[in-house]
Amino acid sequence: MIEQYWREIVTVALLGTDRREPPPPPVGGLADLAADDPQPTPSQRLLQQVAGCTVVRRAGVQPGPPVPTVAPPAADARPVTPQIASSTWRRVIADWPVLEDEWVLAVLRNGRRLAPDLVPPLLGRHRTDATRHARALLAAGPLGQWMIDWSPRLACTAKQPPVVELLTSVPELPIVPELLPLLTAPAAQVARTLAAGLSSAQLGSAHKAVLVNLIARIPAASVQPVAQALDRVDSSSPSIGVAFALADLAHLRHHMLTELELA
Amino acid sequence: MSEGAASSGARWQVEQVLALAPKPSSIAAAQPLAVPGRWVGTGCDLRSVWGRCTGSSAEPYECVVDHVGVAFRCSCPSRVFPCKHSLALLLLWARGQVAEGEPPAYAAAWVAKRVAAQQAEPAPVPAPTPAPVPSAEPGDAAPTAPPPPPDRDPNAGRDDRVARMFAGLAELDRWLDDRVRTGLADPALARYATWDGLAARLIDAQVGGLANRVRRLAGVVGAHPEWHQQVLSELGALHLLAVAGRQLGSLPPSLADSVAAAIGWQVRQADVLAGVPHTDHWVVMGRSDVREDRIEVRRVWLRGAASGQWAMSLSFAAYGQSLDTSLIVGSQVHADVFRYPGALGLRVLIGRQHSAPQPAAEIVGSTIAAACAQVGAAVAAEPWIERFPVCVVAAPARWGTRWVLTDDDGSLPLVEGATGVGALLACSEGRPVPVTAEWTPLGLVPLTAHLPDRAIDLGPTADPSFLAAGA
Repeated sequence: MIEQYWREIVTVALLGTDRREPPPPPVGGLADLAADDPQPTPSQRLLQQVAGCTVVRRAGVQPGPPVPTVAPPAADARPVTPQIASSTWRRVIADWPVLEDEWVLAVLRNGRRLAPDLVPPLLGRHRTDATRHARALLAAGPLGQWMIDWSPRLACTAKQPPVVELLTSVPELPIVPELLPLLTAPAAQVARTLAAGLSSAQLGSAHKAVLVNLIARIPAASVQPVAQALDRVDSSSPSIGVAFALADLAHLRHHMLTELELA
Repeated sequence: MSEGAASSGARWQVEQVLALAPKPSSIAAAQPLAVPGRWVGTGCDLRSVWGRCTGSSAEPYECVVDHVGVAFRCSCPSRVFPCKHSLALLLLWARGQVAEGEPPAYAAAWVAKRVAAQQAEPAPVPAPTPAPVPSAEPGDAAPTAPPPPPDRDPNAGRDDRVARMFAGLAELDRWLDDRVRTGLADPALARYATWDGLAARLIDAQVGGLANRVRRLAGVVGAHPEWHQQVLSELGALHLLAVAGRQLGSLPPSLADSVAAAIGWQVRQADVLAGVPHTDHWVVMGRSDVREDRIEVRRVWLRGAASGQWAMSLSFAAYGQSLDTSLIVGSQVHADVFRYPGALGLRVLIGRQHSAPQPAAEIVGSTIAAACAQVGAAVAAEPWIERFPVCVVAAPARWGTRWVLTDDDGSLPLVEGATGVGALLACSEGRPVPVTAEWTPLGLVPLTAHLPDRAIDLGPTADPSFLAAGA
């Protein structure tokens, strides 16, 4: 009854009380309200009933009928990524997206599956990139395809098929030839070279892009020593800002790789 | 900018400063100046705050603000009042970046002149007040309305404010009357200016809580096929508040507190902290960020482990500022909380914390039917509320074109397009899990999925480009 009355009120409110009189309230609390506090004009009567009806409808919220639940996805026995890794992934995509491919690969390499809260954003983020989307699906496991079934906007829209060899390896990043030897050099040498270059300002803002690529691709064992060396760059150097940024990148990479390892 | 445990005495809050801005661009202009590096000779005392701002002219601008009498003086040529320098100086002061000291000659002379002028005025006649000063309200927490600054005679300031408020409420009701008289199909409703003009007048009348609701409605017109119903319901709630607000004196005290909070009156933190604390192990059940005009508002919903009662902590951030991140979803903290007055009394200030936050124990949720009953009771207590927390054990499921939360006995719809629905589906894998959600008239907004080994924060998040880095 109240819903029928509400529909009549909405109709009158759409047309305006200049054109149509408000309907009489149904017997009950709303009629009592109108009788107890009579209003002089049609518009005031309607406002009073709109307010009363709104309160009645909201306060009287009722559950709808129970709905059949959806069939869950197939089980995935792989351990889920730890909660801290979800925060790290969000930092990676916000601050250092250059690390994201390696993050997903580290999940796979460690035999883990994506935390469920990361599945929708990761699939949605890479739906135009067949390779990354396929890699995310691997990390998500059965939950990934299940989510796509329920939310088709998470499906891949790329026309090209995924590059199979890239599913299990990080893509190459441009690194200038002079720095290429550092990719295979011992950790101590990499750390020393970068710290010295930044302290003396031989390396600076102009080199930041390639230095980012270098730190994103040096062997995992070298990351922590490099991060520590970058922390110690001379604070009076003009390149200290670049050093801070690179240190942040190196620390983040170290954390993300460490926290994804299985205990 | 968090509502912390301690009151800052006479020092204003940042949102109070922001509310003084004559237009949004004033704050945008003031923000870059609100850094200590742009000022020399800053200082404050119990009456005023002063400083010299290095601007585009050869000489720094001398700026003084009377934070008791709320008056401004600046040597800049701006005709905007208060100017960006005054706002920036107040922001610095509100953030605690101005040290106490002795006023320089230019400040002391101006303040002395003001004091002398005030003393020459006849003393105002005290008058009865319609209601105790209430709290802000969950749904209307954005501090659009400037709270009454400290006054030499609080009754005089309050009388003036009550008169403005009554006039504003009367105007709002006339405006509502015009809307239903001419009909919601009136093309004027589709123009933002129709709503913004009213909101501006409500701000002037210091009923900022209502102004926020009016501004939100502007975005609803035409937004979906059922917008007429949503707008009409909200006009009804506004009418209710406009009528109740003019009868504050005859309402029961707790209801009067709730009404006054909903229309935009605020209570000083010191008054809240002077109340009786409610000590419990407070579980951080959910978080929700929403932009209210020029402010990001963060609601953190707490539930007492022993009492089962809900509480809500608010924090605010203007552009470039940070929201409070001290309450982590899924943790619990043994703490005193101080409730703002009101029928529901949801809003709290966090007082003393007796231990460091710890992971919460297992979360217990209710049935959908029980949640409906809780919402019904809350709406009956405060019919204008726009959200209320519930924690249910339920599964996301598809009902026609909509997602719902369902258990064996009933279901409630989720808000269409709510940000956390996809993640909730993934986290639950379609199975029943404890879910904390905000009830709204449009449906539930999922905030947290409480999984056995972790709590997943699903709540709407603030725009990171609006906040300071790391917020």
